[in-house]
Amino acid sequence: MAKAPARAPGVEARAGKFPGPSLIPALNAIQERVGWLPREELVALSRDVRRPLYEIEGLVSFYPHFRTEPPRKAELRVCHDLSCWLRGADERIARLRQRYGTDAEVEFVEGSCLGRCDIAPACTVNEVPVSLDEADAAVAAARDQAFGSHNGHSGHNGDNGDNSKNGHHGQHSPAPAASAITWPNDPYPSAGDRYAVLRAVLAGELGTADIIAALKDAGLRGMGGAGFPAGRKWDLVAAQEATPKYVICNADESEPGTFKDREILATQPYLVLEGLLLGMLAIGAEEGWVFIRHEYGPEEQVIRREIEWLRAAGLVGPDAAGSGKRLSVEVFTSPGGYILGEESALIECMEGHRGEPRNKPPFPGTYGLHGQPTLMNSVETFAHVPVIAARGAHWWIAQGHGDHAGLKFFAVSGHVERPGVYCVPMGTTVRELLDLAGGVAGGRPLSAIQPGGASSNFIGPGQLDVELDFAALQAAGSMLGSGALVVMAEGTDLLAAAVNVLRFFRDESCGKCVPCRVGSSKAHTILTERGPGEQVGELAEVLRRTSICGLGQVALGPVMSVLRLTGRDHEG
Amino acid sequence: MAITAPESTGTVTLTIDGREVTAPEGATIWQAAKAAGIDIPVLCHDERFDPVGVCRMCVVDVGAPAFAASCVRACENGMQVKTGTPEVERSRATLTRLLISDQPPRERDPKQTTTADNELLALADRYGVTGDTGLPCGSGRGVDLSSPVIAVDHDACILCDRCTRACDDIQNNDVIGRSGKGYATHIAFDLSDPMGASSCVSCGECVASCPTGALTNKPIRNIPIRPRTELDAVDTVCPYCGVGCALTYYVDRERGAIAYAEGRDQPGSHSRLCVKGRYGWDYAASPQRLTVPLIRREDSYPKGALSADVRGEMSGDGEVNAHGMADDADAGPREKRKGGKRGRKPGGLVDYAEVLPHFREATWEEALDLVARRLTEIYAAGGPAAIAGFGSAKCSNEEAYLFQKLIRTGFHTNNVDHCTRLCHASSVAALFEGIGSGAVSTTFGDVANAEVAIVTGSNSTANHPVASSFFKQARRNGTTIIYVDPRADKMADHADIYCQLKPGTDVAFYNGVMHEVIRLGLTDAAFIASRTSNYEALAKTVADYPPERAEQITGVPADVIRRVARAWGQARAGIIFWGMGISQHTTGTDNARCLIAMCAITGNVGKPGAGLHPLRGQNNVQGASDMGLIPMFYPDYAKADDPGVKARFEQAWGTADLDPKRGLTVTEIISSALKGGVRGMYMLGENPFLSDPNINKVRKALSALEFLVVQDIFLTETAEFADVILPASSYLEKDGTYTNTDRRVQLGRKVLDSPGQARVDWEVVQDIANRMGLGWHYESPREIFEEMVSVIPSYRNLSYDNLGLTGKLYPNPDPERSDGTVVMFTEKFNTNDGLAHLVPAEWLPAKELPDEQYPFVLNTGRLLEHWHTGSMTRRSYALDAIAPKPQVFVHPDDAAQLGLADGDLARVSSRRGTIELAVKVSHREARGNCFIPFHFREAAANLLTIDEIDPFGKIPEFKFCAVAIEPASVRVDG
Repeated sequence: MAKAPARAPGVEARAGKFPGPSLIPALNAIQERVGWLPREELVALSRDVRRPLYEIEGLVSFYPHFRTEPPRKAELRVCHDLSCWLRGADERIARLRQRYGTDAEVEFVEGSCLGRCDIAPACTVNEVPVSLDEADAAVAAARDQAFGSHNGHSGHNGDNGDNSKNGHHGQHSPAPAASAITWPNDPYPSAGDRYAVLRAVLAGELGTADIIAALKDAGLRGMGGAGFPAGRKWDLVAAQEATPKYVICNADESEPGTFKDREILATQPYLVLEGLLLGMLAIGAEEGWVFIRHEYGPEEQVIRREIEWLRAAGLVGPDAAGSGKRLSVEVFTSPGGYILGEESALIECMEGHRGEPRNKPPFPGTYGLHGQPTLMNSVETFAHVPVIAARGAHWWIAQGHGDHAGLKFFAVSGHVERPGVYCVPMGTTVRELLDLAGGVAGGRPLSAIQPGGASSNFIGPGQLDVELDFAALQAAGSMLGSGALVVMAEGTDLLAAAVNVLRFFRDESCGKCVPCRVGSSKAHTILTERGPGEQVGELAEVLRRTSICGLGQVALGPVMSVLRLTGRDHEG
Repeated sequence: MAITAPESTGTVTLTIDGREVTAPEGATIWQAAKAAGIDIPVLCHDERFDPVGVCRMCVVDVGAPAFAASCVRACENGMQVKTGTPEVERSRATLTRLLISDQPPRERDPKQTTTADNELLALADRYGVTGDTGLPCGSGRGVDLSSPVIAVDHDACILCDRCTRACDDIQNNDVIGRSGKGYATHIAFDLSDPMGASSCVSCGECVASCPTGALTNKPIRNIPIRPRTELDAVDTVCPYCGVGCALTYYVDRERGAIAYAEGRDQPGSHSRLCVKGRYGWDYAASPQRLTVPLIRREDSYPKGALSADVRGEMSGDGEVNAHGMADDADAGPREKRKGGKRGRKPGGLVDYAEVLPHFREATWEEALDLVARRLTEIYAAGGPAAIAGFGSAKCSNEEAYLFQKLIRTGFHTNNVDHCTRLCHASSVAALFEGIGSGAVSTTFGDVANAEVAIVTGSNSTANHPVASSFFKQARRNGTTIIYVDPRADKMADHADIYCQLKPGTDVAFYNGVMHEVIRLGLTDAAFIASRTSNYEALAKTVADYPPERAEQITGVPADVIRRVARAWGQARAGIIFWGMGISQHTTGTDNARCLIAMCAITGNVGKPGAGLHPLRGQNNVQGASDMGLIPMFYPDYAKADDPGVKARFEQAWGTADLDPKRGLTVTEIISSALKGGVRGMYMLGENPFLSDPNINKVRKALSALEFLVVQDIFLTETAEFADVILPASSYLEKDGTYTNTDRRVQLGRKVLDSPGQARVDWEVVQDIANRMGLGWHYESPREIFEEMVSVIPSYRNLSYDNLGLTGKLYPNPDPERSDGTVVMFTEKFNTNDGLAHLVPAEWLPAKELPDEQYPFVLNTGRLLEHWHTGSMTRRSYALDAIAPKPQVFVHPDDAAQLGLADGDLARVSSRRGTIELAVKVSHREARGNCFIPFHFREAAANLLTIDEIDPFGKIPEFKFCAVAIEPASVRVDG
């Protein structure tokens, strides 16, 4: 028996975190059984598993999925974030609140982005996504207990076995059929052709080093927002000596305006999972996880079904395709919160802690899940891997416009004719993408665009010809970010829009570090009560330079960009 | 004690503020800067904890777009660090302003208005941040004043996680965490409960770590907490348990009182304290202190107990009610006496109003003359056998030494003992027999080096809280903890393997483990061959205890016994800690013999992380024993019945006719008194009435004494039987040395003056000695210490001058330079042949097994908040407020079967007595067992206990007797 190693240099302490297996599955199990988390159950859990009460409190109070009160018959949740706000969410919310606010059977919740910006204003009834027009009918059905399920996800986190029992997420929302649409990043002409790259690797016909080389040659960058070169990341994690290693697909996009991964999960689960499995083989991991946001119930179903298929086909299991390699893939349903999209917060959550981002370095590549080397990419990044491996880096590079390489999925929402997901060549201009989506709603003039999700700076109508790519958008003072284009027509109060974004960040701040926890709140109060002033600029700087993670660092960026755009930056 | 980076010889070189700095690999920028003399401000960081990097005050520019938190960021080769650029400083100022905007105003800040060392306000001053930040102020999270000792101001909290880490990583109590999210995040206790209603054990480590006014000490006895600079800091040692934590009392000289206490760094305790040490010192300021010598009034004879409680009228035992006081008609308000049972509300201490009228005040001269005269008369009439003395493990080494010297040289008897008899006497007996020394073979802190630690018969989180924090911490760092105890108390929550054995089956358990260790070939054959004797006999005995048989006896599954054996046998270093659960049995010596054998056959003595550590109870039980306050030993365990020893001490003390035989032990003295043997007693700081088993017997014995002098700080139950009561000084009122469980000899320093005419104990002992014609001339404890050391080879080289602020471990070859010996017996044991003598033991059942009439097994012990007979702790505001009443702890299913709910009044009876007390339904008890703490005179557990003793250690079986429990509303006939 060896003593556990001392804390690795540069790794922060586990303040308030208890070592040992995650309690999140146990809490899910109670909630599934009882419908909520009564105190006596929590006390009994603490005693039975010999873990402190504070730890349970920390989790239950942090993750919105956990209920500390019995559920009502219907939970109506409406999004108030930017894309929905642009489409009149405030008025609709006010009306619904009036209707249901005092209704004993209905729990009315106004909250953060549900990832359904294409049907804005988005809402869910008992966790089933519905359009706002359907909301009343869904609530009525829920009163008769004929709609949705409060139990939500069926607690499969960490459960390595049978996935067949889950019946969550509503009979009204059948899971989208995989590959209803064929996107250009799909190398497989028919269903029978899928997983060809994976099979080739498992058969020893294709080396994972070749795949990494192809990713590098193709210049594929992480599509989750930060844009770190994917091939380099794979290389780095592959080079780590420590085992075991893990691969995680980050399917937790939760930023207002961002829903492209949702579409990829729904239509290309086989590409996502193939990319994930290739990543596992490339870095030498046996365990892979899809960490999916709580609100993507229907898409989770698709992924789970696809994993089932992989198991049945023998591509995943103790001896994947007779290769002698063990490959296991599981789904971890997020207990909620935008911050979990931050990679180290996601890992903290999977370890059973409050989803608070870690101080970095070390990065997950060297010190990830359970302190082990972990490769984490987003849904879209993994989905692009098979086609690059199958058709080569040259093909991929050729897909881009001009000097730009490859393809990019965008979610387009806001004041636009046809909100939705578009896959376009990298380097497509903002104007071209806007046109593809039918232009500004009602043909109105454009006021501003947020090209890369809630964290990106606003750009004005004068910048419509900027090319959609990492460097080009950065040069234009914004960023490609999460690939979410939010369109704002003339007449939009841009500062109010930016403050709406700030509110999102304030609400989703984990509270770990001072600048983000306190600064985002103070800034929001100042902007809503006093308007921009000198202090906002100071706060923006302190948030940008001293916050632990990206959320805090960008929280005031959009506001500052609007102040610059509107020439009010001297005020702030 | 932060977990530090693995030892590395590598270094990195970086540039900090233009200076090239070389730092050890793994060092943080903050550490490297500090070493280079560059101060980087922090709020969340404290070197005692691992860093979290949440306050961001320590950010530095490392050339990246975002600044790095220097407290957590490791140094890298070639790194260019700027710690104080205008941008960095501006960020710190803004962060300070953000935090200040939600703080209570300075003039109302709970920290600034008390100790005046609010670290955030210091930063605000540094950055010129005033109360008016211009920022919107938060809505206010409110205050929580539910704890009797700690005030929580959530508004003043900056969420630095220092308290969280103090609670978890330092004390390992696991109570405080973050609750909520974002701006609404706040620290929370348990399930966000009020602190006073949570599982908080009030150790105060969170207060000690809080940089702001969020967690502050509440004043005790209305003594305001003033700025440190206005108070007098006295560095001394905690007066309670054997852990001997170093602390500092902050004394308000204007008010002549302690304002608050703080842990002080020392190699053993690392600045940690528990609730008793941090908040339980005000007993000395109790208005009930004895301040004048008292002599029993003529009309209060014949003697007997004076209060209803002590007379036993609370006991419900008719036979005892009638005892002693029947013809004592003028002794006090008759109604009160008669109504004793109902006239007095339950709880509290000796009723002074009822007892004091039986005594008259006297001068010291008169009282001391009387004591000397009466003891001399009894000695003259009855010889040495007629006199006995009980010293105290609460007194200093110097006092213990003088007391035994007085009894031995003044009355030529070895009838001198103290509460070690009720504590570790059996452990000491086994240790002497086995390894030739009664002291611990290694320190409790050595657990950090252990691969496996067995904690057994020890509710350490209650009885040795600070030591237990090191056990728990060791586990987090990889030590496997095996907890063996009939009660699943908190240590069980922190154990890798918990064995809930049936009470009184320890021998069978360890024989089973050793059986398996031997069977698996996991013994250390070389160690057995070269360093032990009698292994074959041991092996033969344990051969009869296969795990299945051990399971039958102990109730611990055979597979668990096998797991324990494997873990223990395979451990590179294994250590055993034990407490009264091992010693307080009629098989206590056998129990300890098994533990010695456990270590010896696996080579687990004499190397780091390995050994035997009986956790000593009282603050000076080790020292009092070392001083020879034991009937069978002269100082330093010199055998009392060895003629050579006798001659040596006769010479050293300049006396003749030392008693050539062993004296009587505590329990034997009580029995002797009953039979008219011992007739005169000197009781220094002991309260056998509550601490000894079978109180009804003690009551008779004390009543039977011809003369009893009690020297104490309060009117104890025992003092009711006294002829003379001498007002003593409390621990806080005198200088002296104390030896803790680790063998650490520490200086206790005078903090306060004694009240009234109360006097320092050693002077009183000397005055009596001189009235006996002994001609002593000690001027100071220092002088006594010097004489002590001259007759105690183990203490060689120690002196008042080299003990220093943190004391020294003995043996210590070089106290000027060394802290002393941690690991003993590295080469040989202290036995005559240098070998460990293995003594096999067969399992024997307890003396009084449960039956139909008395179906439960009673276990007695202590609570975290209370100390022994409660004379100190029940007069402490904080401790009494936290744990005010006696309770019997019963398993939920047993309670349900008995028809008892939590808080119901139960009647608990044994063949010796009956008490009534509230039920505490507790999942920590096993079915069929119950637990009663023995601190509470109004429901004295020792009315129930049995006075059967261990044949070797003479220790009573406090941990096992048969009782019946029933709802108290069902009245028993009579």
